[in-house]
This record gives sequence, structure tokens and C-alpha cells, in this order.
Amino acid sequence: MVSARANWKGYVKFGEVACAVALYTAVSSAERIAFNTLNRATGNRVRREFVDSETGDPVEREDQVKGYEIENGDYVVLEPEEVAAAVPDSDKTLKIEAFVPCDEIDDVYFDKPYYLIPDKMGADAFRLLRDGMRQAKVAALARTVLFRRLRTVLIRPHGKGLIGTTLNFDYEVRSAKEAFDDIAQMEIDGEMLDLAKHIINSKKGAFDAKSFDDRYEAAVAELVKAKIEGKALPKKKAPPPAKKNDLLQALRQSAGMGASEKPKRTAAKTTSDRKPQPGRAASTKRAA
Amino acid sequence: MAVRPYWKGYLKLSLVTCPVQMMPATSESEKVRFHTLNRETHNRVVSHYVDAVTGKEVKEEDEVKGYQRGENDYIILEDEELENVALDSTRTIDIEVFSPRDSIEWIWLDTPYYLSPNDPVGEEAFSVIRDAMAAEDMVGISRLVISRRERAVMLEPRGKGIVLWTLRYGDEVRDEQAYFEGIEGTMSDPEMMPLIQQFIKKQTRHWDSTLVSDPVQGKLLEIIEAKRKKTKRPTKAKGAESKATPDNVISIMDALRKSVEAENRPGKR
Repeated sequence: MVSARANWKGYVKFGEVACAVALYTAVSSAERIAFNTLNRATGNRVRREFVDSETGDPVEREDQVKGYEIENGDYVVLEPEEVAAAVPDSDKTLKIEAFVPCDEIDDVYFDKPYYLIPDKMGADAFRLLRDGMRQAKVAALARTVLFRRLRTVLIRPHGKGLIGTTLNFDYEVRSAKEAFDDIAQMEIDGEMLDLAKHIINSKKGAFDAKSFDDRYEAAVAELVKAKIEGKALPKKKAPPPAKKNDLLQALRQSAGMGASEKPKRTAAKTTSDRKPQPGRAASTKRAA
Repeated sequence: MAVRPYWKGYLKLSLVTCPVQMMPATSESEKVRFHTLNRETHNRVVSHYVDAVTGKEVKEEDEVKGYQRGENDYIILEDEELENVALDSTRTIDIEVFSPRDSIEWIWLDTPYYLSPNDPVGEEAFSVIRDAMAAEDMVGISRLVISRRERAVMLEPRGKGIVLWTLRYGDEVRDEQAYFEGIEGTMSDPEMMPLIQQFIKKQTRHWDSTLVSDPVQGKLLEIIEAKRKKTKRPTKAKGAESKATPDNVISIMDALRKSVEAENRPGKR
């Protein structure tokens, strides 16, 4: 069925029911443009070397230990075993501690998703949990040791399977409320809101990840090609004009042109806009 | 809070533009941080670059990016040259498409950022765009260059601000069919549904951040403190629960009933 090897095998346990499951990583993040760091003087690759900050001598991997700074320059040294002792023993079990209504879940905590599928033996219990959660519109929270770290995992139905998403801890996520605290509370004029809603509805569409292209990658490839061929390199475009136009006027104009606007580049569809644009080049000069 | 913005630019909806700033929603600053030390000397360990061939140290100003053309064949790209690779989406988040929030599956969400106005001048325009999206229950879809990649991004109103998510590339999400095709779509025994619903209801609680607290962090600090005082170290943490024993589960129905009964016992929550 699946050729890839499971990243983790264990159990999902809810109440007294347990079923054997496996986790498979659902996403990969492929590097796009691979840059290497070079030494400009020699053109050679560079490599990282670890040295003692006082003596300058190289420090081998096995001589590196963790230190927790208590006062300026004073450290409590911890050996790897001591750090590992803080992590509970792995019981290979995603024990469901609570269910949470789906619409209350704060997605800002999401880390990495995994496909969660049953072992042959656990299929009945698996489907029971999946369909039960789907009907109740909830997701489950469980904690277990994954890859030697204690992780919180959010488990939710997805198609015929489940997805387990690791969550960041509370101290790893900034409070949205604090981050947005400085923003002024504004009473938005009814006409403005209506115009903006109109614009939004005229730009309705679907996100299609499959047809999204990374134009930056293409632009770098072009730059590299130009450099190899000894051609003139692309010039920086002018920054967007910071128009200080009247907001209501801009909304009215936008809403008016919304319907007749020619099809624009979208996340789904693209047209190249890296063609030479004399107008822009001219404004670069002015800006500089 | 005085966090330096990670990115500054413009938010644009058709002819409406406003200056905005962005910062990552996640942070490492509250984590128990360790430094790497040399066990022999207890001095800090620092890293620097050396030339892979000559072994000599490479000064920071001599470090340059290289694009690999072939084996041991690189095209050197200076930072200024790379800065000239400027797309519209380097400085401007132009919202091109709006979609219903629930049309974008969670699996596409990659990294969250907080987006807010960067100048009082733009606060009204920002608020109009935010409130209109919220009123229509829509999210905006756009493009943004982050860390030398152009990403699809999703903008979602949140309180007085906007959460901007980078969305994964199409080829980064593995095909779920390959994983889920062997699972049966229907439940084996629909009779169990009322029981599981009862169990779920009993165990359901409201979301709050204590659900994502980390017991290990506290434990680490305890170990550090104990070591500092040179007293006996705390013993190894016990596994939270005894091992699951699926062999004991003869009938799911029985187990479920037991679970619900356990939840019903007086004295529980």
C-alpha cells in the first residue's frame, strides 16, 4: 500500500480502547534554490568548524556539552543523558487526554502534519474514533514521545484516515492578542465596508497549490544565466508607490473596476511580469 | 512589545494600499536555552567557516553565495546582485483572490506570521480589508517572497490584526490516497456510535493554551537547579501511563462501555 517506511509506530488510546497505528510524514520541504557558501578569495566551498572561544582550538563533537547560563559566563553543564532524563520514557502511546471542538482550535500552534493510519489489527477502533470525532466535530489531543521529544499531537479525521499534527508549546507561540495590541480599534464607515466586501466578492476564486509557481526561483535562474553569458544583470525595480490617496475614493474606484478588470495573475494562474519595463527602469533612476 | 519587524512592506487590495509589518508568530525566546561548551575547559564553543580545501579560516566579508553549476563549478552571486531579483511580491502583498476560509485545508498551512499596520496612516485601510474579509468569512490569497522563495500566502483576520500563513507548495504535500486507500470508509458497527459520542462528549473541553503546556521544560529547570545546588538529581521521569495493551481489548464495545462508565463515576471532574 505505502512504500515509504513509517516514521513512528505505536498506539492510539482513548478510554480503555487502544489501536495500533503508524505515523507517516505528510509533508516534505524540498530546498528550492541551493546556494553554497564559498570563499570569495579561492572560490572553494567553506565548511563549519567548532572552536573553543578562548583557546581557539577545534572542539570535536564528542567534547561538546550543553551549558545553561546562570550568571554572566557561569554555566551549569549538562551531559546528554541528563538532558534526556527530563523526557519521560516512551510508552509508544498517543493517549487521548481531551477532545476539543474543531472551531475552537488555535491553528497558530500547528507544527508538522503526519498521516495516521491503522495497523490491520486496529482498524475497527480506528474507524470508530475517526467517525465519532467527525460526527461530534471535534479533534483529539494526545501527548507522547515522538523522535525523543515529548510532543502534543492534535488528531483529527481527514478523508478515510486521520491526521496527527504536532503542536508547538505555549511558550513557543507569541500571543496574537499582544502582537495586535497596538492596533487602533476603528469604527469602519458602512459604505467603505460595503465597497470592500464588493471587491472581495469580485475576486472570489480557489487556491490551487499545484499550479503555483515560485517566480523567485525562475528569476534567480535567469540571473545565473545572465551572469554565465556575461549579459547585463537585471536592475532593481522601483518600490511600489506609497500612494496617499483618499481611502473612500480608492475603494470606490476599485469597486467600480472590479467587474471589468482584466483577468489578473493569481496564485493559480500566472503570467510573467519580468519582461523589460522601460517605465519602471526610468523611475529607478529617479529614486536613486 | 518591542519586537523588530521581520518584514516591512505593503498590503494591497486593488487600488487600496497600506504600509504593514510582519513578525513570526512563533518564538524561541521563552525556551530553556543552552549554549554549547567545551567539556574540557567549560568555555563557549563558537563556529566559524574554514576553506574546505586550504583549511584556513574564512572571514565573514569573504563569504559569498555560490550557485552550483557542476561539480566544483560555482557561479558567485553577490548579495547586491540577489537583491536585484525583485518581484512585485518582494515588497507588496497584493491580494489577488479571496476564498472561503474552510476551502483551504489545514494541511497546506506552513508557517504563521502576524501582520499589522506599520503607520497610523494605513490603519483605516488595513481595518477595512480585515473587517470585510471577516464579514464575508473569506481569506485572502496572495504571494510573498520570504527567505529567497516566493510563497503562496493566506491572510486571515484575527482580532485587530491579520494572521499571514505561508502555504506549502503543491509538491510538498504527499498524496493522501497512497496512505489512506487501505482504510475502510464505513464504520464496522454503527451501534457503537451513540456510545462513542457519549464518551467524546464527556471528554470534550474548551481550547486553551494549558493544553499545549510542556512538562519537560519545568523538569529541565529542576535538573539544572538541582545540579546547581549540587544536591541529588531528581530521578528519571516515569512514563506517564502504563503501556497500552491492545491484546487485552477483547471487544471494543465492552471497552467503550467501561470508558463511559469510568467517566460517569462520581468525583470525576
